[in-house]
Amino acid sequence: MSTADGPRLQVDVEKQMEGFYLAVQLEADTEVLVLFGASGSGKSSTLDAVAGLQHPDVGHIRLDGECYFRRPRPPATGPRCNLPARERGMGYVFQNYALFPHLTAEDNVAFALRRHPARQRRAGELLERMGLSSLGGRYPRELSGGQQQRVAIARALAPGPRVLLLDEPFSALDLALKARLQGDLLALQRELGLVVLYVTHNLDDAFAIGDRLAVIQEGRVRQVGSVEDVSRHPVDEHVAGIVGVRNLFRARVTGSTTEGLFLDWDGTPLETPQPLPPSSVPPEITAYIHPEDVKIIYPGVPLMEAVRHNLVEGHVVGHRRRGGGHLLLTHLSNGHEIEVAFQDYAYADLSLEPGQTVQLSLRRDAITTLSPHH
Amino acid sequence: MAWRDGPLVRWLDVRLLFTWPAAVVAATVVGLPLMFQAARAAIANVDPTLEQAARTLGSTELEILWRVTLPLARRGLLAGLALGATRALGEFGATLMVAGNIPGRTQTLPLAIYDAVQNRHYGDAEYMVLLVTSLGFLSLWWVRRLEQSGRPVSEPRTRQRLPRDDSPALESAP
Repeated sequence: MSTADGPRLQVDVEKQMEGFYLAVQLEADTEVLVLFGASGSGKSSTLDAVAGLQHPDVGHIRLDGECYFRRPRPPATGPRCNLPARERGMGYVFQNYALFPHLTAEDNVAFALRRHPARQRRAGELLERMGLSSLGGRYPRELSGGQQQRVAIARALAPGPRVLLLDEPFSALDLALKARLQGDLLALQRELGLVVLYVTHNLDDAFAIGDRLAVIQEGRVRQVGSVEDVSRHPVDEHVAGIVGVRNLFRARVTGSTTEGLFLDWDGTPLETPQPLPPSSVPPEITAYIHPEDVKIIYPGVPLMEAVRHNLVEGHVVGHRRRGGGHLLLTHLSNGHEIEVAFQDYAYADLSLEPGQTVQLSLRRDAITTLSPHH
Repeated sequence: MAWRDGPLVRWLDVRLLFTWPAAVVAATVVGLPLMFQAARAAIANVDPTLEQAARTLGSTELEILWRVTLPLARRGLLAGLALGATRALGEFGATLMVAGNIPGRTQTLPLAIYDAVQNRHYGDAEYMVLLVTSLGFLSLWWVRRLEQSGRPVSEPRTRQRLPRDDSPALESAP
């Protein structure tokens, strides 16, 4: 299906929204592209523009070389096109499923197959593919959330779309169910060779399903890349904040050598092994360290090489369980707070009650600096 | 000189006055606003996301109206029809004016009650009043049932609570 010239789906749209200006450029191939951002950032509007439910002011949307939308920016001229939503043939899975309540599951799936010669059979096949073959006669209100979501996916796939758009599809489901549905969706995407745009504000969703991640903020794409890449190397502090990077801080740069960078974080000296080119050393820099890379020092035990640097004292102010481990909130001597994450089995013999004083090491090789935000 | 026939008769040959269709027109005119209000609310209550979904599934606007909007608004439309009909049941003045009061041809129940009272047939009048009243109650009961059983189909709307006049926030300081 892929055409010779570039990615299959090309989106470059602008629209004046209420409160912000949407200006999004995206490209997607046969893959799952996650549109990630807070609510109101413009990711759902982007999805609606692709589906034809909203019309951009200017820009273009192309799929496999066909023009779905094109309106040149005023001084420029050229052919225009704007395919109505019903002719775009894109599968859309809505946030709250949007199943027709007056139709059975089977009739919901068959809704788009009105002129299909074997509509009942095709609907039955799709329901079976989604593991719902015995529930075709039920009305949406008689189905669980997960079953409704499966019907919604089957309905969107019924007309055989090339693109599947999902708007926060699994946000109302419990974790185990969500993981299973995400697995199913991924298998379908590979099997049918779909271009999938998946809107979410949940980073775990993005990790579970995304081939690539596009971070959207205030109507603009801030960064596109593999999910690991974006979360590990956010391009600036905004993206870092959006993808949920913890322990962001700003520090003064006190020195820069080939060995690395020396920082002063409000009185706490820190060093990182990331050298900067001498010409571009800013006076201040934003950096972060993942909570997993903050280590607690056992008092009176010789320090290992990895934790010999970046020592700072603090006291515990909070403690909660997270997944299979703990998250400790500590108040540092320099007035800032930092999160420390560790596994269940670690530090079992240390008292980490609130108020307790602890020695921390911010692993030298784990402090990551961000390029200054313009 | 006065025109005996109006333009409807002269140009379109529509002769309604003092026929039973005139009574229908009178009943419709008084029932329509109620019917319209209920129908409008029912259609506005249909979740627009469902219409969007139909659009992405290849439906034209007309198909959406027939296959999504009207079926989902059905109960509200029926309730509106029943309300309008109930209101029309008591229609008196306009019917008398345009349809007359011809027994066996254009006489409606309210007009018959009026006649009965004029002729001091109080027994007949009472029976007819009872009939009209029970028809009205029956219809309203049905409307209520439609509205109640219709609730699970469309999402219940959260009702906004307005502050009451006697709430402390509105009390002025002494």
